[in-house]
Amino acid sequence: MSILIINALVNGILLGGVLALLAFGMNLIFGVVKVIHMAYGQCVMLGMYVIYTLTELSHVPFLAACGVAVVVMAIWGALLQTLVINRLLSANRLNQLLALAGLIIVFENLAHVIWGADLRGVRIQMPLLSIGNVFLRTSNLIAFIGALIALAGLYFFLHKTYTGLAIRSVAQDVECSKLMGINPKTIYLITLSVGGGLTGVIAAFFSPIYSVHPQFGGSFTMMAFIIVVLGGMGNLLGGFVGAFIIGIVTSLSAVLTSTEIAEILVMTLFIVVVLMRPQGLFGIRQSR
Amino acid sequence: MLQVDTIDVYYGGFQALFGVSLRVEERETVITVGPNGAGKTTLLETISGLLRAKQGKVSFLGKSIDNEPAHKIVEMGLAHVPEGARVFPQLTVFENLKIGSYIKRSRSRMTDTLDEIYDLFPRLAERKDQMGDTLSGGERQMLAVARSLMSNPRLIMLDEPSSGLAPLVVNLLFGFVNTIKKQGYSILMVEQNVRKALKLCDRAYLLESGRVKLEGERKSFLSEDYIRKSYLGI
Repeated sequence: MSILIINALVNGILLGGVLALLAFGMNLIFGVVKVIHMAYGQCVMLGMYVIYTLTELSHVPFLAACGVAVVVMAIWGALLQTLVINRLLSANRLNQLLALAGLIIVFENLAHVIWGADLRGVRIQMPLLSIGNVFLRTSNLIAFIGALIALAGLYFFLHKTYTGLAIRSVAQDVECSKLMGINPKTIYLITLSVGGGLTGVIAAFFSPIYSVHPQFGGSFTMMAFIIVVLGGMGNLLGGFVGAFIIGIVTSLSAVLTSTEIAEILVMTLFIVVVLMRPQGLFGIRQSR
Repeated sequence: MLQVDTIDVYYGGFQALFGVSLRVEERETVITVGPNGAGKTTLLETISGLLRAKQGKVSFLGKSIDNEPAHKIVEMGLAHVPEGARVFPQLTVFENLKIGSYIKRSRSRMTDTLDEIYDLFPRLAERKDQMGDTLSGGERQMLAVARSLMSNPRLIMLDEPSSGLAPLVVNLLFGFVNTIKKQGYSILMVEQNVRKALKLCDRAYLLESGRVKLEGERKSFLSEDYIRKSYLGI
């Protein structure tokens, strides 16, 4: 039994890494543009289809396909900003939420029309790793390490470059950012491109693990949203910690009970946290 | 250098400024005084492009700027220190200063300007790794002024830098403004602290209910009966 628990813990941590990346993207967009990207998981789904189409139908090498997916999804994010979000900036909150939730339907049906309802997967065989009695899927380990590297890269970008600094300034005070010579519209476009590119990165990590279908994104949008709210909306550190909490709780309770009950437990945890700390575990201080 | 020509500014249906005209010459320090709600902040926000005038013109260094967005106006060399300092709360003091040099022409000069700023305000050098929201009110104003200098401006607009500060800190702050003035920057300052502000200035305007009620050189402005009675209490 203890071996099972250790296995579940390790897998929970591995899952947490990728969830952290997913939550980071949604959180960044919320923190900067102040809209909730309800179709974030669906963008990951589209990215996975891009990789599938390139590798299985056009015989492009897997890594090259992943690179293309990142670029395509970054452009997709920029298009989303220009065509949809930009027009919603001064709309009221409910309309923003409804319009972005509408994208879920658009993206899922788009996938349905192009690729059909069948499961599509990239065929890559990766060995199972074992450390003592703990078993890991190589693909999960790669996804975990890759996610941490991506997060470190994003941290560097946000803290060490002018553009990253401008993104953080806009997140904290848009009006004052304009007085620094920053054009918020440009920053929004960059944020959505980075967030979009990130869905391509996640798609690359997911492709060897999961098969994709048009409804694939739903549970991940939900997962990302829960993590973001749990950690405190717009708080990147909170999202990081939240991702590991959700990852570990999900896989531990799946081993100790069943997958269905695991989902109930995650939701229960979420509701309890929100009841006791509506601002989330690391809720942003309301300054000024 | 700055020319505001009979501007009308509205918030929706409410008119905040009525035909306001004002000018600031090279190396001049101009103060606009007036009670709360007179339109002082509105005036500065219209000049810096955060608000738009419905009527009238604003020009800076001979170019019309009344249709330029705020971020372009900063690039032309017009810095605006907003009301309440608006220091970025979750950026360090250093990062706040760095973002001040965001515009292209200031980036390459960033380290030099930063050294000058740290010489001018040693307190900021001591606190460079502290978060913006851990600073005291006076330090925030100091940082906001320093941040605006990072863009290498020609003209600096200060919106009530002394508001909410303890009297001792206010003296310190006016000391800083005087230092900047001596460095050769042009300054347009909006203030409620009439007595202290008028000591610094070359010329002054009185704004009441969205209209320029009086204007003049410092000496003649100070000797106006209306100013003496209503604002200086003499």
